[in-house]
Amino acid sequence: MVESVLRATLLGLQLGMTLALIAAGLTLIFGMLDVINFAHGALYMLGAYFGTVIAGQFGSFWLALLLAPLMVGLVGAAIEILSLRPLYDRNPLYHILLTFGIAIMIQGAIIQIWGAQSRQIPIPDLLSGTVAVGPVNYPVYWLFVLGVSTVLIGIVWLAIERSDLGILMQASAHDTEMVSALGIDVSKVFTGVFVFGAILAGIAGVLLGGSRSVHPGMGFGIIIEAFIIVVIGGLGSFRGAVYAALLIGLVTAYGALIAPTLTELFLFIMMAIVLMAKPSGLFGATEAA
Amino acid sequence: MKSVVEFFDRSQASPTGNELLSGQGRLAVLVSIVVLALFAPIANAYEPFWLNMLVRMMIFALLALSLDFIFGYAGLLSFGHAAMFGAGGYAAAMLITDVTANALIVLPIAMVVGAVVAGIIGWFSVRAHGIYFAMLTLAFAQMFYVIAFTDLPATVLGLESFTGGDNGLFGIQRYETFGVDFTSTLLYFYLTLATVALSFVALLRLSNSPFGRVLQGIRENEERIQFLGYNVQRYKVLGFALSGAFAGLAGGLYVPFQSVSHPGLLHWMISGELVVMLLLGGLGTLWGPMLGAGLVIFLEEQLAGFASWEIILGGIFVVVVIFAPQGLAGAITSVRNDPKNVVTNAKRAIRNYVDKVRK
Repeated sequence: MVESVLRATLLGLQLGMTLALIAAGLTLIFGMLDVINFAHGALYMLGAYFGTVIAGQFGSFWLALLLAPLMVGLVGAAIEILSLRPLYDRNPLYHILLTFGIAIMIQGAIIQIWGAQSRQIPIPDLLSGTVAVGPVNYPVYWLFVLGVSTVLIGIVWLAIERSDLGILMQASAHDTEMVSALGIDVSKVFTGVFVFGAILAGIAGVLLGGSRSVHPGMGFGIIIEAFIIVVIGGLGSFRGAVYAALLIGLVTAYGALIAPTLTELFLFIMMAIVLMAKPSGLFGATEAA
Repeated sequence: MKSVVEFFDRSQASPTGNELLSGQGRLAVLVSIVVLALFAPIANAYEPFWLNMLVRMMIFALLALSLDFIFGYAGLLSFGHAAMFGAGGYAAAMLITDVTANALIVLPIAMVVGAVVAGIIGWFSVRAHGIYFAMLTLAFAQMFYVIAFTDLPATVLGLESFTGGDNGLFGIQRYETFGVDFTSTLLYFYLTLATVALSFVALLRLSNSPFGRVLQGIRENEERIQFLGYNVQRYKVLGFALSGAFAGLAGGLYVPFQSVSHPGLLHWMISGELVVMLLLGGLGTLWGPMLGAGLVIFLEEQLAGFASWEIILGGIFVVVVIFAPQGLAGAITSVRNDPKNVVTNAKRAIRNYVDKVRK
């Protein structure tokens, strides 16, 4: 009993931290750009596929972890500059439709290039096998994923709260006109935020690509989970996204112990309760409307 | 962030529906129905596959129409219309298997089921506004999906099977009403055409009734409508339930035609695709979304042969969003009103795009 609870806790934390990487990008893009990015799951998937290719070509997981997210960042830059930039002054509905279309395109391109069968990123020997955590034998790779995601989330948190760049990002989101009048190229800041979110999603893709299967349906599979997290945490709130991601990760892991089939239902019920009680989410600003 | 909420509350399109009530509009609608009715036997004789596709196009046109009524007019973006579509479908499947295959009994019940499900989802969701409303409808619709997928009612009630779990309910026969057997695709086509045409007229009337005007008023300025003494929440729930009734009707037509009711009907991808159909066709025009639905079904069908059909379909969405935000309806209206300047307008749109990208 104690063992399965401990195992579930570790698994939940790991799942939560990786989900936080995806949700953080989603919520940052929403908070700064006002864009609900349906293509975020597709970027995560792209990270995993780039990871399989690089790890397969060069036989190095570490190179994949380094390069694949950067490549996803490049794709993100192309998406932001070529398609989102002309649409900022439009109804956000069009952002949803646009990113939905892009997600479909990326999924189609992946099936076209790599086929529909599922793959996996080979993990290095250093990270394979299990290690004893108290009474539980736990896979080393999963601990590694937990560690890397936690450190990354910590760095991003500090960067947003403390660095000049983070403050510039917050200011651009708060008052675009004012920042622009101060001589700062706001559209570059926007591109930067989108690329940053894409890179985080790409990292999550490589990390989870080592433990889960990589297949063309994974993008749309994760996007709803990420949305639930962002909505529960509060749209646009980074802190909220991280806490909510941990919450969802743990609920999923414990739920698998108690009633596996109903876990998903429970996630939606949680989201509905939060939305009805406090529509702006647990950490969001109070509802504008 | 505030702007998003406001944008969602007051969508920019300005639907009137009046162009359809004008003499020319009525003629266009009538001509389309007659052309469809005459085209069907020809299609049936030469390529039955086309007839099959036409039926599915019309059913999705009805579904898109139902969403346009609540989204285009009342400004409520439902991201969960699949729930009502699927609920109507499951209701029809169960009734046909266990009770009767009479369309005049089953279809109205599918409508009632759609309205009830929409009423429940709406009653909870109208507490939130804009994008939060959309997320709530999504959450509730996905709950229905999970319930159908895991066959929760069977577990709770101790039955062997209720929704059939992830397999769904299959082997559903088509309607048979007072001796008329709709098993042939041609007859099913006429049943669908008649149902969709009647629903279209009903929703067009409803949109331009005092009730529809209040819904439009809510979209434009909710507070003012409230101050005028209308119970805004009640109007929203009622409008949502009405929309759900027609979504349920679409489900009731779809399931016997495909002979299977499965959880995929309730999945959010259907809701997402539906929103795409609406925007592609032209929000708030009633006829545009129907056209958009037809086009999406047509493209999916035609491009399925290519390995990369998703790339093309996604690409079309992206291009339409960037260059023709009013959708097909907007493009058609602009060409009709100003046929000489089509090239100039297109050039201007492209120049505009390049300028904004370079910014």
